[in-house]
Amino acid sequence: MTVTREELAAFADGELTGERAAQVAAAVAADPALAGEVEAHRALRARLADHYAPVAAAPVPDRLAALLARPQEAEVVDFAEAKERREARRGIPRWGWIVGPALAASLALVLLLPGSGGNDAAYADPQLAGVLDSRLVAEQAPGADTRVLLSFRAQGGEFCRVFSGEGGGGIACRDRQGWRLEALGEGSAGASTDYRMAGASDAALLARAQEMAQGPALDAEAEAAAQANDWRGASAR
Amino acid sequence: MRDHPFNPWKAETLSTTFEQDLLDLLPRLRRFAAGLAGNPADGDDLCQMALERALANRSRWQEGTRLDSWTYRIMRNIWIDEGRAESRRRQTFVAEEAGATQGGEGAQEAAAELSYVDRAMQKLPPDQREAVLLVMVEGYAYKEAAEIVGCPVGTLNSRLVRGRDALMAMLGEAQ
Repeated sequence: MTVTREELAAFADGELTGERAAQVAAAVAADPALAGEVEAHRALRARLADHYAPVAAAPVPDRLAALLARPQEAEVVDFAEAKERREARRGIPRWGWIVGPALAASLALVLLLPGSGGNDAAYADPQLAGVLDSRLVAEQAPGADTRVLLSFRAQGGEFCRVFSGEGGGGIACRDRQGWRLEALGEGSAGASTDYRMAGASDAALLARAQEMAQGPALDAEAEAAAQANDWRGASAR
Repeated sequence: MRDHPFNPWKAETLSTTFEQDLLDLLPRLRRFAAGLAGNPADGDDLCQMALERALANRSRWQEGTRLDSWTYRIMRNIWIDEGRAESRRRQTFVAEEAGATQGGEGAQEAAAELSYVDRAMQKLPPDQREAVLLVMVEGYAYKEAAEIVGCPVGTLNSRLVRGRDALMAMLGEAQ
């Protein structure tokens, strides 16, 4: 019986089945030369497997894993979700991650003011008011003395902004008279020009802002639109 | 499977699974790529191209079919295409620099760093190299390997035998 080289390889790889497999097995058993070829085939297979095994066992390079780390937007059918993702990518602070661990204890750092536009209400001085009027979160310089951390719309419809500076931070809401101070904290701006983390007081202010807000913080587009409209919210109309 | 086609949460789950499955395959994909390309560094470049193409073409992958075969085929097709482009470039180069040694010094130095197995594998024609890798390293059945390559099973079998014989001849001398 003649066994082709293809059949012999298939036999060694366990690819032959049925009657033919039995015939080849018998031929191999009867012929040391054929048995030697099967052995050589299996030895080569083992050698190749050993040779390439370290690549599969090695840690995957970050650049390859990174390609698969974040879900691609292949099947987004929900517009609200898509919008949310766009905003998240823009790098504008969102409630979730900037407030982070809610720091409930540090809420004490925030002084809540009377507010509500009554006679007792405190208003931002002209300098702060200028900053609140003009500065957009996305465009301010990293080392600015007073930074606007984010803007949001309060439940009554007013636009409010969280600010932080060396002299202290706070939350101010725009009403007919000006920027009414809703809360004050210690502030932290100016501490660092290259890398900035929200300090404990900032976090407390942001937590307070989250309570006051209806919906998420404004994205860059919504903030610019609010500014263009002189920050006139519902109660100021 | 998709009972709520407009449920974004569901869509998100599906797409995340696709990435996770590719991530699970990645060590094997790197091994195959290193074998095709000749060394792990070029292999990772090939692997990156394959992953990018797989992600871009994910809508063409049919759920329920094997993601590994699908991705291996993508990688193998890129490698074949790149190889054709490379050999065209080399031919042009040789024609221009008549008399110059093929490959250049850099390539020769790099080759000296390679092991016997790597060098022997690099001498195999592409069709034999991929057949050897798919069956003897990646452990695919002939039928599966033939589907990845896109050739009849018998053809794959004979390429495998020719590749194997050439390797044994080269490695036999080197041992």
